[in-house]
Amino acid sequence: MENDSGIWIKRHSTLALQEPVAIAGSPGLRSVGKLVVDSLIAQTGAKLFAELYSTHLPSVYQTKPSYAAHPSMPGMGGAVVESGNLDFPKVQFYACSSPPLILVRGYHPNFEGQYTVAENVLDLLREAQVKRMIVAAGYGSKETKICCAASSQNGIEEMKKYEVGVGYKGPFMGFSGLVFGLAKQKGIEAVCLFAGTAPKEDDLEFPDKEASGRIVELLNRILGLQAP
Amino acid sequence: MNAEIKILKPFKPSELTLIVGLPGMAYIGKLSVDYLIQQLKADLIGEVYSKFFPPYVIIKEDGLVELLRNELHVFADAAGRTIVFLSGNSQAFSPEGQYEISEKVIDWAIENGVKKVYAVAALVTDKQFDTPNVYVTATSADMLEEAKAQGAKLLDHGIIGGENGLVVGLAKKRNLEGACLLAETHGYQAPTGEYVIDPRAAKAALNVLTQILDIKVDMEPMEKQALEMDEAFAKMAEIERRVREEMAQSGKRPSYVT
Repeated sequence: MENDSGIWIKRHSTLALQEPVAIAGSPGLRSVGKLVVDSLIAQTGAKLFAELYSTHLPSVYQTKPSYAAHPSMPGMGGAVVESGNLDFPKVQFYACSSPPLILVRGYHPNFEGQYTVAENVLDLLREAQVKRMIVAAGYGSKETKICCAASSQNGIEEMKKYEVGVGYKGPFMGFSGLVFGLAKQKGIEAVCLFAGTAPKEDDLEFPDKEASGRIVELLNRILGLQAP
Repeated sequence: MNAEIKILKPFKPSELTLIVGLPGMAYIGKLSVDYLIQQLKADLIGEVYSKFFPPYVIIKEDGLVELLRNELHVFADAAGRTIVFLSGNSQAFSPEGQYEISEKVIDWAIENGVKKVYAVAALVTDKQFDTPNVYVTATSADMLEEAKAQGAKLLDHGIIGGENGLVVGLAKKRNLEGACLLAETHGYQAPTGEYVIDPRAAKAALNVLTQILDIKVDMEPMEKQALEMDEAFAKMAEIERRVREEMAQSGKRPSYVT
């Protein structure tokens, strides 16, 4: 049922994972975060266990790209049809047991609902015993490298073991930015991996699989996953 | 989380005065209050979080992520008086959010026995001046006189946009003593639409505020910053003058597409 914040959650199965690590991504800059999560879902065979719906999730955006929300240009509510099924826009949660992971396919809310959606996503992760989260995203850079940011110095130090240093500074907007920023307040230590991505002349927001591939490769090492 | 004040350290207020300077036009409020926090080595005791701040986070140079927030810093002077400064990296983006946060802060200040509320803001003008004038509006004649005695002029009419104005309005609504000091600025904006900081105006506001509060701070660092910006503003004014001259000579008038 919908709560006072315009959020409702559909649960498909009950989770029993020991402190799973959450990996979150959304269709942000050149879809890097979404591509990472989709790759990991395919690679691990993770199963959908919950979906978060919200009156703050538009089906049609007025702003382009979708993550550049604006208070005076809210998207439109509406339905989404996928594989012949009628549904609403949603954030999806997948889980696999070995290693214990929760994969979050994010979705950009309207400007005014971003904090509310991010807080409810983090509440669901906390309920699933998540203590650590890795967010995947792109950042505008022609250098084909990965840099990191974190909610605490420990996270920065941990990434040094994988030869990943800090690099990007500035604003981080959209679903992934707020989920990352609010994590610490919800008791979740978070690291964000940013892959450098540059636009193509004819398609500024093309899905950058090369950039997402670099993050997936790094996550395979961090999480001890078998590369496909 | 409409708005939440997270207290980091307990403190014992005495004769509490609240001073507000949030980012706004020419950053005069924020520059002034941040300067006092720095000079007085005021202690961070609380943070204000809200879903009404713009929805993004900031990745800092050291790689740590920071939420948009307001901060409460406290300073206790030799006489035992407590001053709390409200500053931060953002204001709420909507009037609803600005009321929500301002009311939360005023409620908290009242719970802690606040006696007076001051805010620092900008008065954007196209008039020429050598030194920015400081104007005052207040909740009572006594508060007006207090500021006028330190060189402020009465603000006859105008608008104080955002929380720097709201807190003083809400102080009046809650029967508190309050005043807002507004320093004149030309309110230059960068091509991106961002306001350019005006430390000369902030210094003028601080000259009045520190005398009202009877606190002494070293103004040299602020003067140095003001001199640097004076040069930058002079260059901007010169460019503007040349463009106008060229247009006058060519018979074209400035035009805008909005």
